[in-house]
Amino acid sequence: MKKIFPPTLLFLSPWLVTLTLFWLFPLFYSLYLSFTDYTILNPHPNLIGLKNYLTLFSDPDFLTALKNTSLFVFGTIPFTTIIALFLALIVNQKLPWKGFFRAGFFLPSITSMVVIALIFTNLYARDGYLTLLCSLLGVPTPEKGFLFSTATALPSIMLMDVWVSFGYYLLLYLAALQAIPTELYEAAEISGANFWQKFWHITLPYLRPMTLLIVLINTIRSFQIFIEIFVMTKGGPLNSTLTVVYLVYENGLVRFQMGYASAMAYVLFFIIMIFSLLQMKIFGLGKGIEE
Amino acid sequence: MKKLARIVLFIFLIIILLGTLFPLIWMFYSSLFPQTISLASLTDIFRQKFTFKNYAEVFSQIPFGKFLFNSVFVAVLVTLGNLLSCSLVGYAFARKSFPFKRSLFFSVILVLMIPVHILIIPLFILIKFLGWYDTYLALIVPWLVNPLGIFLMRQYIEVLPKDLEEAARLDGAGEFKILFSVVLPLSKPALAVVAIQVFLANWNSFLFPFILTSSENMRTLPVALALFQGYQTIDWPHLFAASGLATLPVLILFLFFQRQIVAGLTAGALKQ
Repeated sequence: MKKIFPPTLLFLSPWLVTLTLFWLFPLFYSLYLSFTDYTILNPHPNLIGLKNYLTLFSDPDFLTALKNTSLFVFGTIPFTTIIALFLALIVNQKLPWKGFFRAGFFLPSITSMVVIALIFTNLYARDGYLTLLCSLLGVPTPEKGFLFSTATALPSIMLMDVWVSFGYYLLLYLAALQAIPTELYEAAEISGANFWQKFWHITLPYLRPMTLLIVLINTIRSFQIFIEIFVMTKGGPLNSTLTVVYLVYENGLVRFQMGYASAMAYVLFFIIMIFSLLQMKIFGLGKGIEE
Repeated sequence: MKKLARIVLFIFLIIILLGTLFPLIWMFYSSLFPQTISLASLTDIFRQKFTFKNYAEVFSQIPFGKFLFNSVFVAVLVTLGNLLSCSLVGYAFARKSFPFKRSLFFSVILVLMIPVHILIIPLFILIKFLGWYDTYLALIVPWLVNPLGIFLMRQYIEVLPKDLEEAARLDGAGEFKILFSVVLPLSKPALAVVAIQVFLANWNSFLFPFILTSSENMRTLPVALALFQGYQTIDWPHLFAASGLATLPVLILFLFFQRQIVAGLTAGALKQ
């Protein structure tokens, strides 16, 4: 039995090395950086206490980015969740081609985000398909295209995000729907429950843990929106699509203000943590998830 | 349910599905024309002549072959590395007892939930410090052990019957032999899920390949596509041909391994 320990340590070593070198060390190192004035020109950083954090909250770019990111998160998640739930309920009916629908809906979510963002850049352009479609339907379109107007750029990216991501959550809802014991529905039918009563008293309560999980995953993901911004707008026009992670990238890797960018990243990190914990609290950290 | 209602729902789903797939169809469709489709009217798109010229030109006009090689090389190595590392670690978590086992497994779950944007700055500095910046090492080594892969392997191995392993142990087989000749052959379904999940994630990965490389030679397909616009004014037919080629492996995996993709996408979420 004594011989077992060394091979076990060997088995575990890939994770021990990755966890330490590529997760824990970067996490703590950037926490340290966030209290310094580190830039690439000044590789011997001075500790400057909370200065970066204090500067952040008077930095108009950061406040704009925070506002845009919040708009993006709270403006997409309710729609994505409701659309995913609604379509999952329909796909789960005894319709033909169920697997086909499920597959078709989640295909965009396994496609490269860069590719998706490029396609929508084309569709949203001044002479793009969506712009043309809108003008045919009599909907006013911005002169230079959807992504070049401060009023429409962020909503256009939000619409794209709902489009690209709902299929994944639909897949999760379908999995949860299939886990509801059918006997429950049969029993309800015997006692004369109608469609809505069944939905309200059986389906929705059973979907609660999955809804928490979906909102949670989506919150963590959405707060970090970057690729779409980088490919489609670079934060423009006039900072109207500037997001926090885009600003972290710009400050840290374009202007090399690494201390400042780390502080920014950490503020977002804490915002995400707080929202995750709040959601767990509101939805109740149900036993369903633990199981 | 009433028949009419079902027909209505079915048609409704078809319409939504077309809307969902339209942008991808549009990409492949636009890539087949010599010039950017000019949309004077919606029906104009049916009048032009198809050509596959753009696909050939992509290889000659931009170093597409190099980008493709980078993507394939990196994704294949990362996938193979994960098959090995996740098997080793997953097996240890499923079968061995060791100090701090619970907290160590909790670290796997926790890392799955960590917002990765926090790594942008420190990983950039670390990779520079290691001298890996703008090399294949930066694209491969940090991604060789995927926490979701560990999780999937552990869940699968844990419920395998133990008698075969014990029989092998009685025959004097060592730990590695037991893992590689008894456990892993039984774990093929889980290995397939891990392989496809890791391959897809890596194939589509943009953020870290983008920030950890600088030269054109090191670009993977997503990085090259995102920076393609910088070359000139956007040449959509060629850009879409290149994007289509980059999407092709995803489509092929999607067609043949849909069950594994679904298993990977849902298992990670369901069991957290």
